[in-house]
Amino acid sequence: MMLRKVIRLISKSHKYDVLVYTSFCHTVFQFSRSFCQMLHSGCFLHVGTKASQSIAVSLDTQVLGEKCRTISRTQENDPANHREHHLCQHYSIPLEEMKTIFPHGLPPRFGMQVKTFNEACLMVREPALELLHYLRSTNFANPAIRYVIYGEKGTGKTLTLCHAVHFCAKQNWLIMHVPDAHCWVKNCRDLLQSTYNKERYDQPLKASTWLKNFKTSNERFLNQIKIQQKYIWNKRESIEEGRPLGEVVEQGLNRVKNASDAVGIVMKELKRQSSLGSFRLLVAVDSVNALWGRTTLKKEDKSLVAPEELTLVHNVKKMVTSDWHGGAIVVSLSQTGSLFKPRAAYLPQDLLGKLTRKKGKRSCFFLVTQIPGN
Amino acid sequence: MKDRESSQSRSGKPAGSPSRLGRVLEPAKMAAPVVGSARCLCLLGPGVRRTLRALPGLTQVRWSRYDANYKEPQLDKDYYLKPLEELTEEEKFERDLRTTQIFKAPPASKTSSLFEDPVISKFTNMMMKGGNKILARSLMIETLETLKRKQFKKYHEAKAEERETIECNPYTIFHQALQNCQPILGLVSILKGGRFYQVPAPLTDRRRQFLAMKWMIQECREKKPRRMLMPEKLSHELLEAFHNQGPVVKRKHDLHKMAEANRAFAHYRWW
Repeated sequence: MMLRKVIRLISKSHKYDVLVYTSFCHTVFQFSRSFCQMLHSGCFLHVGTKASQSIAVSLDTQVLGEKCRTISRTQENDPANHREHHLCQHYSIPLEEMKTIFPHGLPPRFGMQVKTFNEACLMVREPALELLHYLRSTNFANPAIRYVIYGEKGTGKTLTLCHAVHFCAKQNWLIMHVPDAHCWVKNCRDLLQSTYNKERYDQPLKASTWLKNFKTSNERFLNQIKIQQKYIWNKRESIEEGRPLGEVVEQGLNRVKNASDAVGIVMKELKRQSSLGSFRLLVAVDSVNALWGRTTLKKEDKSLVAPEELTLVHNVKKMVTSDWHGGAIVVSLSQTGSLFKPRAAYLPQDLLGKLTRKKGKRSCFFLVTQIPGN
Repeated sequence: MKDRESSQSRSGKPAGSPSRLGRVLEPAKMAAPVVGSARCLCLLGPGVRRTLRALPGLTQVRWSRYDANYKEPQLDKDYYLKPLEELTEEEKFERDLRTTQIFKAPPASKTSSLFEDPVISKFTNMMMKGGNKILARSLMIETLETLKRKQFKKYHEAKAEERETIECNPYTIFHQALQNCQPILGLVSILKGGRFYQVPAPLTDRRRQFLAMKWMIQECREKKPRRMLMPEKLSHELLEAFHNQGPVVKRKHDLHKMAEANRAFAHYRWW
């Protein structure tokens, strides 16, 4: 099978979108590696039924397992140093870093594997390497480039995103990671009408969980960044200019009703201040097609809520536009968990839909062209 | 009639055939009810027909397409992997005989795979509802996975000395748990003097295995909390049974106690 190339799409009018295609890459070389990995996991396979073969098989797999473990693992645990010769090898993330960098964001099955085996190993793959190459060579004076990771089910989009997040965390960027945008457009019991804007709806619980995880991952930045505007929560509470961002997050966590607004403030401030250069911002959104899809949430008069009417979605959409500089936007599509999309849909055109360029100050558009199939 | 007789005489009796009654039962593999009906006689295989002619007034109702001449397939890979030099004369003769015999097709669930376990297959079939083997099999696999994860968790949390005592292989846990649930004696209802007595009686291996699996599945289905999934509950019960605790082992002990209490009626058993 031919090595499937990572597809890049940069055109004149849409300079700031780059599409990254993850696929189930196989070459003969890689197949033997993956076969070794299967045998390595074969150490734990059950060989107890046929007793005559059991001893011989377990010895063989042990010896092979030892060899395979050295082939398929690499000692290079810093994503900044990952190059082509690390391809198809697993690097491990220490568990203490896991708690700070990934309080949320890992796929649930991967999280279970991490808990069972007490180690988090990610495989270094070509789409991730290309993405890291782009991130390494970003020009922070230009507007933020939006990288879209798409591919069929089970090809590693979320884990590629997590690889990029790990890289940026190690480089001391500020990470704004939305683990699964699909969670925000469905299964919400508590929909409050927003106090800030009557037409929008708040989701206090989801916003407060996000704020908690944001705080865990970016503890050190919250005291350094100061807000540049006064915000009034209600008649009695307000935040003055010059206070650290940590106070906004605290307010959002303590008063769950204001959590969504706190999220909005955090995003607005970070967007404004990333251009100043004191920190670099990475906006990582998984399952971004939820922001432009449909919701299953209903208002009190049983009419459907559009995604634009949700505060959280509205704020994240503002972050995902390329009108700020000083960082990058990495985004992945996902059909799993999406609403009203057929199972076979994986291309950006199918999942995001055809979006026309809106005339006006803020226009959000994606490059949508047919990528040749394999 | 004459044609049928000649065809029957051509098909020879297989060597070492069991009793006539056994020949009747063999094709159907169970004690098939036999009905007196001349019409059904024509549809049966030649070997069966000959036997049934000897027992007038009896015809098999449940039957199989396979004749008595069809042999059971040999699915064990070890049998074929034995090198030719190690075979005894008998085994060589058997191998040559097999080249001329006709064999039944093996069922789809039986493979010569390394991972096949007859106990697990039987348990999966007993868990199956409405023929949904896919669901039953996936539940079984998930149960084994959950068992393994639970044991790994215990392994990582245990100190170095205790680590060797923790069993991580889900298959050994499964087999040992079912072994621990198997009752030794069972109770049989015997009618004597117009009253039914519960008499303690020995059980065959198959019955014991069946009872252990049945109790395990019943326990998990009935006592499961509403929102808990079957693999989680099953893995919990299996772990408890592995350590000789839990409700299924308690049920086995209760049966033993009943048998002990009724041992005065043991003489009512005549087999």
